[in-house]
Amino acid sequence: MDFAFTPEQEELRSSLRRFFAGKSPTSEVRRVSETADGYDPLLWKQMAEQLELQGLVIPEEYGGSGFTAVELSVVFEEMGRALVCAPYFSSVALAAQVLLAVGDDEAKARWLPGIADGSLIATVAVTEDDGAWGLEHVLASAVPAGDSWVLDGAKTFVVDGHLAGLLLVVARNDQGLGVFAVEGDQPGLTRTPLSVLDFTRKLARVEFNAVPARRISPDGDATAALSRGLDAALAALAAEQAGGAARCLEMAVDYAKTRVQFGRPIGSFQAIKHKCADMLVAVESAKSAAYYAAWSAADAAGGVADGGELAVAAALAKAYCSDAYFQVAAENIQIHGGIGYTWEHDAHLYFRRAKSSQLLFGGPQRHRSRFAELVGI
Amino acid sequence: MHLTWTAEDEEFRAELRAFLAEHAPGKPPKDAAGRLAREKAWAATKFDHGWAGPSWPKAVGGMELSFSRQVIYQEEMTAARVPSHPGVGINMVGPTLITHGTPAQRERYIRPMLRAEELWAQAFSEPEAGSDLPSLRTTARRDGDFYVVNGQKVWNSRAELADMFFALVRTGTQESRDKGISYLLIDAHAPGVTVRPLRDMTGAEHFAEIFFDDVLVPVGNRVGEENGGWRIARTTLGHERAADALNQAAFYERIVGELIALARERGAAADPVQRDQLADFAIRARIMQVNAIRTISTIMTSDEPGPTSSISRLYNSTFEQQLHVFATDLLGGYGVLAPQDPNAVQRGRWTWGMLGTRASTIGAGTAEIQRNTIAEQVLGLPRDPAMPSRQ
Repeated sequence: MDFAFTPEQEELRSSLRRFFAGKSPTSEVRRVSETADGYDPLLWKQMAEQLELQGLVIPEEYGGSGFTAVELSVVFEEMGRALVCAPYFSSVALAAQVLLAVGDDEAKARWLPGIADGSLIATVAVTEDDGAWGLEHVLASAVPAGDSWVLDGAKTFVVDGHLAGLLLVVARNDQGLGVFAVEGDQPGLTRTPLSVLDFTRKLARVEFNAVPARRISPDGDATAALSRGLDAALAALAAEQAGGAARCLEMAVDYAKTRVQFGRPIGSFQAIKHKCADMLVAVESAKSAAYYAAWSAADAAGGVADGGELAVAAALAKAYCSDAYFQVAAENIQIHGGIGYTWEHDAHLYFRRAKSSQLLFGGPQRHRSRFAELVGI
Repeated sequence: MHLTWTAEDEEFRAELRAFLAEHAPGKPPKDAAGRLAREKAWAATKFDHGWAGPSWPKAVGGMELSFSRQVIYQEEMTAARVPSHPGVGINMVGPTLITHGTPAQRERYIRPMLRAEELWAQAFSEPEAGSDLPSLRTTARRDGDFYVVNGQKVWNSRAELADMFFALVRTGTQESRDKGISYLLIDAHAPGVTVRPLRDMTGAEHFAEIFFDDVLVPVGNRVGEENGGWRIARTTLGHERAADALNQAAFYERIVGELIALARERGAAADPVQRDQLADFAIRARIMQVNAIRTISTIMTSDEPGPTSSISRLYNSTFEQQLHVFATDLLGGYGVLAPQDPNAVQRGRWTWGMLGTRASTIGAGTAEIQRNTIAEQVLGLPRDPAMPSRQ
């Protein structure tokens, strides 16, 4: 039956929940988020070696285990619940998906195995200083130089751009948009970490000053294939949002059951019950949206469908899950009252993640507008 | 995004399609009496060919279908645009009789119920007992082999057409609340029964009030124990409502399509603010479809309806309310016209909808009561100590 998780997928979910509860409690999230790199290399290594998470959706011929976007969405949901600090979204959702969508065989063979075993942290750089997420806003330029290319321009809000060993850069040439690989040690590359709202996910501004690069997309304009890769990443982000929202609801409900005011648990008051019921509607619907996107991504990657439904589903999921997560994260603080407003309480960590992920890769309005265009409104 | 079916399920679908191709009634006539006759005739045809009561046991004339086939059944019936059953609440009273009725009651009532020879209506709500139904005051006093019923019921859809009512009445003290309620089957044509149409805020008469004035009901028409009616009033069989979830989603998807067409016609689809809202409705309609698929998939794999089933009514009712308000706004100046005005856009359908969907968050349990239920039964939040406890 479609749209139900298999026992194996449910098993993956519960083992991940145990793993992250043990290895990445929020005390650890806080500690790691304050480090310069923003992730724990030991945990990263365990994720790769014990659970083989980095290689989950990378095809076996490139050193991965060839699972689908559905399994990937389970991982993101669980990592979203636990707010895990790791360059997983950048490497596995963004870079690997873009490599698979646009990359030539040589590029895939060169970098995917490193991503799969966790030895290479990679990311994709799209957005520039105007802060707009549409590919049409890209100004960075790529000029051919013999067998390779030279990049000029600046990218910002690059996820894990402060440490990525490989940057896949979207730049313009005379054929339109292309995707260019830049390894982290290239001359002319300047990275500046940004001070960010959501400190569990690091962002950087990256300048390219005549940086030598290798084009990985085929001749011509890469917009369509690149969008497919980015849509797969959006599907993963939506699952992360659904997972975070589900955790916020749990926190709120657990608190409402035990916090006593006026001589009774606040969860026995209808004002709180009704908020929680509305939060459940948002959470379950966000899961539906995220699963729809995950299933569409799996179909697109498996050749069952072209990227058409994935584009629709990704826009839908990014719009809906972003708003749902923010609503639920905000209500979670409200239900906690004063304690939820303290630095020590975890509610604001989720609130920060919710707002930041709502705006990353385009806010809900932008995705609704894209959805409208795609379905012919 | 779709459900997949086994070859056997597809065979079942083909059989059903063949039946529909041969027997489905033609277009509905314009007059109300003609439409009702068509609905009754179709219910009888379905029963006589073994296509009635998809989830009901074969022993009472039902089909006893597996859940996946119930989904197919609902899909095909909707696609064929055949009329729905004219009786109200047969999926409430039917399962109650099947589970708690006596053999004599099943024998007497179920076949005519399925064939729509006898139409049923529900008689639960009262003027002073809405959300707080256990405070109902219609009394049934035992007198030999009869109950003498007195009181008033309200919000009874299609009660003026009914031959039988299934009713909740007070047989215990007022203070005994839900522990003093019995479930009676009442002949709508009995002396002392008065049905009066109730004009609702749309101006139409979809509902009625029922008055009982010393109405004699044989004790044999009580279902279950005396004072044991509350517990059995909500009996359902399997997941009949969930089997129809995809159709509801498809229905709203169609409405959204019509809303978009309206917006285009009125030049609003290009306006960024209106467009954003249209996209939001289209997104929510599609999520409703995924919610439905998740509910159905969960029932098929685990026999449990899961959380998406409990949120669907709240989600859908809020959705249709907001959609119709938005549509009325799109009409601009024409939104001030009554739906009957000759200049009303699309014969006033959006205004009808805006008025009519006020009931969506009230009928069959208000949105507030639903939120309480979700909070307590799905999320496990504690009961309000000020509220009386229920069985």
